[in-house]
Amino acid sequence: MFPEGSTLRFSSSATPVRVIRALGGGGQGQVFEVDFAGEAMAMKWYFPSCLQRDPQLRHRLAACISATSPNASFLWPMLVLDPDNESQRQLNIPPGSFGYVMKLRPPQFQPAVAHTAGRLLISLQQILRACFHLVEAFHALHSKGLCYKDISLGNLFLDPASGAILICDNDNVDVNGSELGGVRGTAGFMAPEVLLGLRCPDSNSDLFSLAVLLFRLLTRHDPFLGRLELQIRCFDEPARRRLYGEEAVFIFSKDDDRNRPDPTVHPAPLLTWPIYPPQIQALFQQSLAAGARDPSRRAYTGQWLQALSRCLDQRALCPHCGQEVFPMPGAGGSCWACGGDLPVFARFLTPAGPVLAQPGNELHAHHFDQLAGERLDQPLGRIESHPHIPGVLGLMNLSTQPWQGQLSSGDRLPIAPGRSCNLASLTRLETDRGTLALVR
Amino acid sequence: MFPDVQLSRRPLHFIYLCDCSGSMRASSKMQALNQAIRQSLPEMVQVSQQNPEAQILVRVLSFADQAVWHLGTPTPVDQVLQQWRDLEAGGLTAMGEAMEQLAAVLRTPPMDQRALPPVLVLISDGAPTDDFMGGLRTLMAEPWAAKAVRLAIAIGHDADLDVLQQFIGTDIARNPRRPLQANDSNTLARYIQWASTAVVGAASQPRSQPGGMPHTNVLLPDLPPTILDPKDVW
Repeated sequence: MFPEGSTLRFSSSATPVRVIRALGGGGQGQVFEVDFAGEAMAMKWYFPSCLQRDPQLRHRLAACISATSPNASFLWPMLVLDPDNESQRQLNIPPGSFGYVMKLRPPQFQPAVAHTAGRLLISLQQILRACFHLVEAFHALHSKGLCYKDISLGNLFLDPASGAILICDNDNVDVNGSELGGVRGTAGFMAPEVLLGLRCPDSNSDLFSLAVLLFRLLTRHDPFLGRLELQIRCFDEPARRRLYGEEAVFIFSKDDDRNRPDPTVHPAPLLTWPIYPPQIQALFQQSLAAGARDPSRRAYTGQWLQALSRCLDQRALCPHCGQEVFPMPGAGGSCWACGGDLPVFARFLTPAGPVLAQPGNELHAHHFDQLAGERLDQPLGRIESHPHIPGVLGLMNLSTQPWQGQLSSGDRLPIAPGRSCNLASLTRLETDRGTLALVR
Repeated sequence: MFPDVQLSRRPLHFIYLCDCSGSMRASSKMQALNQAIRQSLPEMVQVSQQNPEAQILVRVLSFADQAVWHLGTPTPVDQVLQQWRDLEAGGLTAMGEAMEQLAAVLRTPPMDQRALPPVLVLISDGAPTDDFMGGLRTLMAEPWAAKAVRLAIAIGHDADLDVLQQFIGTDIARNPRRPLQANDSNTLARYIQWASTAVVGAASQPRSQPGGMPHTNVLLPDLPPTILDPKDVW
């Protein structure tokens, strides 16, 4: 579209951009890396055909820019770019054509598709954290009275090392309840009533799409591809309309077993679904089984945040194979990976439920204060393995305040900020935010 | 760690039908087509990585005095570049026979029981010299051909647009596509790129749907507009 090195000047901004390289295209336009006032940024430029089809796009985009980004997980549009007459002439830009500028995606963020394609090495803890951040992003978006309308795996990026996420293509975001057109969504992610053309996308249909995304991230499989798919020879739009709309049956639906995964064609969900605890599975039942027919049944973002953070709290490492497992706190069970018996793991009793004292698990503000919303971005404490002695666990104080540990001997031990305390003989943890018992 | 699980995929057959008649030798049309296909392959590999649910398999059928499979084995897209041999021009335009040969591979078996819609790209600079309509009837009797995304690229002004439209389909209400007219090598490369990447992506996995209901069984992406000036005109 624009050759490398070309310069665009704008009537809407005094700062010109120089095109560094083309980054890729989508259905709506093309994205370029550009130099914008000395900073490397991303510029999306719409195809004229897209603007013709979606005359409200400009209005939506402007509303989006003035609403500002809901949180740091969005690559949010920052500025509309209207070419000036000279650039229009020089680069042969059709009249009315425009673009917008946003931040560049940092290189550590990988396409979510790389995960669902099995090309990313990622821990279950980090994929659960990515799910948590995705829900958090939707929560922030909906709290602003906006809805996403067109979320799919293609709009999502994740950092496998931290579980951080980025959502791009935010130009479909709209004021909730607006029926001004724009996209309807992507088949396979759209709520059935939207796919069938019965309703416009809104924050409620977003809740369905969110559950689909979470399912795909957690299982590497599509929640509606089970045995019913095997009856379909050609997987095209009419087939999708049936599987995701007219006859949408969740593959693990409690009330309808017609669409169970086939062990030879769909092995992934049969292995991955049992990994997760009942509270996560229940929200999928709510959102994808009952919620496929009845939009009012879909789980809210707040329910997902609680279920996902509790799932992270009950993460443990199997003593036999080292795999991450999610046993019910206070109960044993068996490892999904090796089948070995799991012990009852030591755990902190917190107002937000038990937190297993296992390497990598964290204490957050919501573990001390039931009224605090779940957040993962500012851990107060983290359980870590001893750097040299295998099997020895410590609790590191990541807060700014000194803590006290009470030991089984009755002795008390100060835990200064940045220091750790051996968990072996700890029975109580006293902090400025409250006291937690460690039970075994 | 997230377990290493086997993903469920469906094959997506992508087949080029290339006119290799003598007239393709003129004005380096054959070289331009070879170059356009070769250049499109790396991006096609990327599209395949972005669509893990699709197993993209490429074949090439050439037709001149006869229709011959140039790349006959359904070849995973990431192996096509290393196996690529340039097409050579010379002879008549056995497009009807090409339709028959294509029909034979879209029949089940050998065609898979379950697949994504095949993408068939017919490229021609002339008119068939054999029974095209007979071949097309055989082809269109195959359900997989009827379900396929059928695209046609006319090279230069001597291409028979009516024939190409017959291949795409003439039911305008259901299928408003027209043959793409490439009168220079840049445009040809752009069309090949679009067919092998954007269209393959759309056939593998649905894209964002604009308002209104789809009319076709695969929603085709827009052709990106060209801003460069054509240099060599055929």
